[in-house]
Amino acid sequence: MKNFVDFFHEIGKLKGKPRRSWVINNIKNPESIAEHTFRAAIMAWILSRKKKNFNIEKVLKIALIHDLCEIYAGDTTPYDSILPRNKKKRAEMMKTWPRFSNSEKKRIAREKYNKEKKALEKLISKLPVDLKKEIKNLWLDYEKGLTAEGRFFRQMDRLENFLQDMEYWKKYKKPPQGPWWLWAREFFDDPILLEIIREMDNKFHKHKKPRI
Amino acid sequence: MAEGKKFYLTKKGLEGFKKEYETLKDLRIAKTKGKVPKIWESEDLNPEYLSFQEDLNFLETRIAELENIFKNACLIIHPLKKELNVVNLGATVRVKVGEEKDEFTIVGTLEAKPSLGKISNESPVGMALLGHKVGDEVLISSPIKTIYKIKKIKYN
Repeated sequence: MKNFVDFFHEIGKLKGKPRRSWVINNIKNPESIAEHTFRAAIMAWILSRKKKNFNIEKVLKIALIHDLCEIYAGDTTPYDSILPRNKKKRAEMMKTWPRFSNSEKKRIAREKYNKEKKALEKLISKLPVDLKKEIKNLWLDYEKGLTAEGRFFRQMDRLENFLQDMEYWKKYKKPPQGPWWLWAREFFDDPILLEIIREMDNKFHKHKKPRI
Repeated sequence: MAEGKKFYLTKKGLEGFKKEYETLKDLRIAKTKGKVPKIWESEDLNPEYLSFQEDLNFLETRIAELENIFKNACLIIHPLKKELNVVNLGATVRVKVGEEKDEFTIVGTLEAKPSLGKISNESPVGMALLGHKVGDEVLISSPIKTIYKIKKIKYN
């Protein structure tokens, strides 16, 4: 039981870890990683009901564990490797979507994956073997898109992120919306999630004509 | 799993799934017989498969997933010579987005990894680029209107 308590104590730290995307955009009182996980799980549950032959329990478990590695690995953004220290330059950079060469894209993805895998293994190391394997495999499913549920949640996770972005934009007029839309139109391909994005656009930008 | 949906796959992608399938089947046999599979001696073995082998339920799910992919797989074929200048599935497209350069390969949803430059043919940008030629300017109307200017198209 001691190992369970230690694990619960560790994951509780996500309640106090702010999401880095909002920190670098100077958002006041940004949401924590745990807050993001909470809504992503609810959204995944509700929207999974629209999918045929879907294992909702698996989607929910993936949602709950997908960011646990960030306790030790930290949260990352696509801007991290090129982020200027100067606040003005940083704000300017947030107006564009960072583009990298294919070799840089591979390097960034590989480094992130290795760092997060190591962090997750450290976090779950003292859990019972069966649970350890289950959490590791659920995380691999999310990372590599091994099943329909893993692939769906990978996009679902970013949808919650996009919704939070629009909410902050409505409240603070930041982050700049251009880069988010550029990214979204290259990233999402799930028809249900694309429909939700159109509704979000309508709600937050009062834009009725489809832009995605 | 989405049964009946067509999965467009590159030759390389399909070969990768077939290789994984053979490995997992080998692991399953070894698991049920309590033996160490030969594949473990191979340098090709993805170390992640080791945790699948220890979790039979997960192993079975992934094998079923791969079987469904094979059943509904649609191989992306290399276009005819006269169609090499048109963006189609499997094309690697060099674009200029605003002032920035980027390169995407248009793939089916299973191989899509936008963070690695592989974008889905069902994503809005993937869909918009299909059918265009070098020199075309593809307008994407996001809050900031963006033009994807096609600089080069190649097929591997």
